[in-house]
Amino acid sequence: MTPGASHELERPPQMQPVVRSALLGTTIVMLFATTVLLQMARDRQALTAMPRGQVLYVRSGALLDRVALSYDALLADVYWIRAIQHFGGTRRSTDVGKRYDLLYPLLDIATTLDPRFTIVYRFGAIFLAEAYPNGPGRADQAIALLKKGVRSQPQKWQYLQDIGFVYYWWLHDYVSAATWFRRAADVEGAPWWLRTLAATTLAQGGERAGSRMLWEQMFRTAGDDWLRREAERRLVQLTALDDIDELARRVQDYAFRRGALPESWTALVGTGYLREPPRDPTGSPYVLDPRTGHVTISSQSALFPLPTEPPPLPSR
Amino acid sequence: MTLAIRTTDLTKDYAVGFWRKRPYRALDQLSLDVGTGDVFGFLGPNGAGKTTTLKLLMQLTFPTRGRAEILGRPVGDVDVKRRIGYLPEHPYFYDYLTAEELLGGFAGMFGYRGAERARRVGTLLDEVGIGPERRLALRKFSKGMIQRVGLAQALINDPEVVFLDEPMSGLDPLGRREVRRLILRLRDQGRTVFFSSHILADAEALCSRVAILVGGRLRTVGSLSDITAFHVRGWELVVSGVEEPVLMRMGLMQRTTRIGEERYAIELPIDEPPDKVLSDLTVTGARLVSLNPIRDTLEDFFVRQVSGVDPPESRVKG
Amino acid sequence: MRTSRVVAIVAFNVFKESVRDKVLYNLVFFAVLLIATSLLLGKLTAGQEVKIIKDLGLAAISLFGVFIAIFIGIGLVSKEVERRSIYSILAKPIRRHEFILGKYSGLVLTLLVNVAIMSIALYLVLGYMSWTEAEEFKRAWDAPAADPAMLKAIALIFVELMLVTAVALFFSTFSSPILSAVFTFGLFIAGHFNADLKHFEGVVDSRVAASVARGWYYVLPNLAAFDVKAQVVHAQPVTAGYLGFTVAYGFVYIAMVLLAAMWIFSRRDFK
Repeated sequence: MTPGASHELERPPQMQPVVRSALLGTTIVMLFATTVLLQMARDRQALTAMPRGQVLYVRSGALLDRVALSYDALLADVYWIRAIQHFGGTRRSTDVGKRYDLLYPLLDIATTLDPRFTIVYRFGAIFLAEAYPNGPGRADQAIALLKKGVRSQPQKWQYLQDIGFVYYWWLHDYVSAATWFRRAADVEGAPWWLRTLAATTLAQGGERAGSRMLWEQMFRTAGDDWLRREAERRLVQLTALDDIDELARRVQDYAFRRGALPESWTALVGTGYLREPPRDPTGSPYVLDPRTGHVTISSQSALFPLPTEPPPLPSR
Repeated sequence: MTLAIRTTDLTKDYAVGFWRKRPYRALDQLSLDVGTGDVFGFLGPNGAGKTTTLKLLMQLTFPTRGRAEILGRPVGDVDVKRRIGYLPEHPYFYDYLTAEELLGGFAGMFGYRGAERARRVGTLLDEVGIGPERRLALRKFSKGMIQRVGLAQALINDPEVVFLDEPMSGLDPLGRREVRRLILRLRDQGRTVFFSSHILADAEALCSRVAILVGGRLRTVGSLSDITAFHVRGWELVVSGVEEPVLMRMGLMQRTTRIGEERYAIELPIDEPPDKVLSDLTVTGARLVSLNPIRDTLEDFFVRQVSGVDPPESRVKG
Repeated sequence: MRTSRVVAIVAFNVFKESVRDKVLYNLVFFAVLLIATSLLLGKLTAGQEVKIIKDLGLAAISLFGVFIAIFIGIGLVSKEVERRSIYSILAKPIRRHEFILGKYSGLVLTLLVNVAIMSIALYLVLGYMSWTEAEEFKRAWDAPAADPAMLKAIALIFVELMLVTAVALFFSTFSSPILSAVFTFGLFIAGHFNADLKHFEGVVDSRVAASVARGWYYVLPNLAAFDVKAQVVHAQPVTAGYLGFTVAYGFVYIAMVLLAAMWIFSRRDFK
C-alpha cells in the first residue's frame, strides 16, 4: 500500500465531524419531540388519581407527601403504625389526665399520604369515637375522618355505614344514623341488609335489639381479626346488659316478696331465685349493691365498662 | 515502503487555567516517519509532549491541527486498532477483575474465543512473568505487576505496531531487563516498536532510531549514532593498586578523583586514547578496574536544549 | 457482529465488577427487611399486613435500584477516565459509542438481576402470607397477595431505573462523580415533582411562568409517571395503553440521553 492510496481511504477530515454532529443533533431533537408526543398520549390514559389532601396542619400530610417522593404509601404505613402505638399506649396508661391529642393528626397524615388506606379510616374512626378514658371520645373527629375517606373513595359503602354507626352508638342520633345507613345502601354493590338496618334504626333506635343487629352485621362483615373481636366483645357486653336486666328483675321480685333487699347473692341462691352466684360471660361475678339493689358488672371484668344505654327514641 | 507511523504537522493545544481558559501548546507541528520493523525511541524530558503524541496516535485526544496515520490509515480507524497494541503510561485496570479475566476480555474484543483465547492469555501472562497470581483480583497487584499485565494486554492481538509509553517505569532492575528482552524479541519478530522514555540507557540498548522532543517540539531525529550529542566525549578509567606520586608524575592528578584506598578514577579526553595511559599505568603495577566511554546523558542534552528554548506560553500562536 | 461482541464484553465486565464490589449484598438486606417486617407487622398492626409488605417491597425495589443506578452509574465512565483504565480499552478495536453502550448495558444487566431477585423474594413472602391467612380475611384485601398486577409496577420501576442509569451515565461522560451524583439526584427529585409543573397555572397567575413550567414538564424526565405502586397495591386499573405509552416514553427518552452521552463522549479529549 502506498501513502497516496491511504489518503483515498481517509474521509475529508473537517467535513465529516460536522455532518455527523448535525445528524446527531437532528436525531436528538426528533427523539425529544417523540417524548413530548408520547407524554401527551400517555396523559390521556386515565390513571386512577390518588388524590392529595389539603394542608390542615403544620404537621402537614401534603408536605410529607411531596417530601416522600414516590414512597408516600410506605410513609403512610409508618404513620398508621405510630397511630396504633399512640392509641394503644395511651389506652393502657394509668395517668389520670391522659390525652389522645396525637391520634387524629396521625390518622389524618396517614390517610393524606395514602388516601385509599381503608383500614386507617375504619379503625381510626373506632379509635376516635371510643369513650374516654378508653379513647378520646371524639365522635366528631371519627365522622370527619370517615367523610375524608368517602371523598377519596365514594364507592366504599363501609365508610358510610361506619358514619351511621358512630351516630347510632356514640351520639345516639338515630335519625342521622338511619340517613347514613340509607346512603350506604344506595351505593352500588352495597349489601341488602343495610336497608333493613336503616329501617330498624328508625323504628327501634336505642333498643338493645337494634344495637345487637348492628354489632352482628359488624361481626359478619369484619375484614379482619381485630374488628371481629371488637364486635364480639360488644355483643358479649350486650348479653351482659341482658343478664343485668334479668338479675335486677329478680332482685326487685325478691324485695317485693320479702320486703327487704337481699344482703348478697347467697340470699337469692338460698331462696331458689338463682341456682348459683351469677357470673358474666367472661366469668367474673356480677356485683350486687345491697343498699340500692343495683346490679353492675365487676370492675375487674374484661367487659368493664359496659356501654351507656342510649335513651329510647322520644316517639316511643 | 509502508510506514508504520506518520505524523504531519501534528499540533495539540490544551486549554489551561480555570476561569480564563488560555491555550497551551503541548505539541507543535510534529512531523515524524517511523518505518516498519523499527524500534523507535521517543525521548524527551517529562512534559515534552511524548504522552500527548501517543494519545493523539491512539486518538484519545484529537489534534488541533495536522494528521496522524498508522499503517497508512488514519488513526482511530477500527481496522488499524486491530493491528496495534498500546501500553499507557502508569496503566490501571479494573480492581475486581483477575489478570486472566482482563486479558480474556481484551482478547475477546479481537475476536479470540474459546480454547484459543485461553491459550493466548496463558502464553502472554507466562511471557511477562505473571504466575499463579493471575487468578487474583488486580487490586492486589503491585505497581510492577500491573505494568507487566499492561504489557501483556498491549500484545494480546499479536500487533504489528506496539506503542509503549514509558514501559520501564515502575519496574525493578530485573523487570527492566525483562522488558528490554521483550522489546528485542518483538523486534526480531519483525514488529515495529514505538516507545517513549526519559532514560537514555533504555534507548541506547534497544533503538534503531530515536527522536528527541523538547517543549513540544521535535529537536532531532535519526539513528542514535547520528545524533552528535551522544558521541563519546571521553573515557573514564578506573584503576587500583596505584599511588598518588605515580599519577602526579604522569601529570594526571588534575583529572583524577580518589574513590577509595588506592583506587582512582581518571577522566581522559576523547583525543587521548586510553590504551597508552593504561599501559603506562600497568607498568607501575596498577590494575584495571573498568574502562567506560563518557557520553552526554540525555539529561545533559535536555538541559542544554531547554536552556535554548523560550517558556511555553510565549510559543502560542493565535 | 463485532459491535455486539465488544459491547457484550464491556457490559459483562461491568456486571462482574459490580458483583465483586458486593453491590448485590443489598439483596440480603432486602430479604431481611421483608421477612423481619412481615414477622413484626403481625404483632404491631391490626390487619393489612399484605398491603404494607407490598408497599415496602415495591418501595425497596425502587429505592435500592435508584441507589445502585446512581452510585454506580456516576462512576461508570468518569472513574475509567480518572484512573486512565479507559486508555487501554479505547486502543482496542472498539468505537467510543460502543464503549458507552457496553457500560450502560452492564449496569442495566446488574439492575435487572437485582430487581428480578427482589421481585421473586417479594412474591415468595406474599405467597407465604396468603397461604397462612384465613380465607375470610382475604376477602377484605383490595388485591390478592401474590398479585400478578404487581409486575406492572415492577416493570415500570425497572424502566425508570434504566432511565436514571442513562442520566447518571450521561453526566458521568463529562463531569466528576460528585457533580454527576448531585445532578442525577437533582433530576431524580425534579422528575418526581414533575407532574406538578403541568398544572402550574393553578399555582401562579403569570401565564408566562405557567408556560415555562409546562415546558419543563416535557423537558425533565417525568419519573412520576413510572410510579404506579399505589394503584397496583389498591387494585386500581393500570391500562395497557398507559403502560405502553409510559414504557415507550422511557425508551425514547433513554435513547435520547444515551445518544447525547455518546456524542459528548466521542468528542472528548482525555488529557
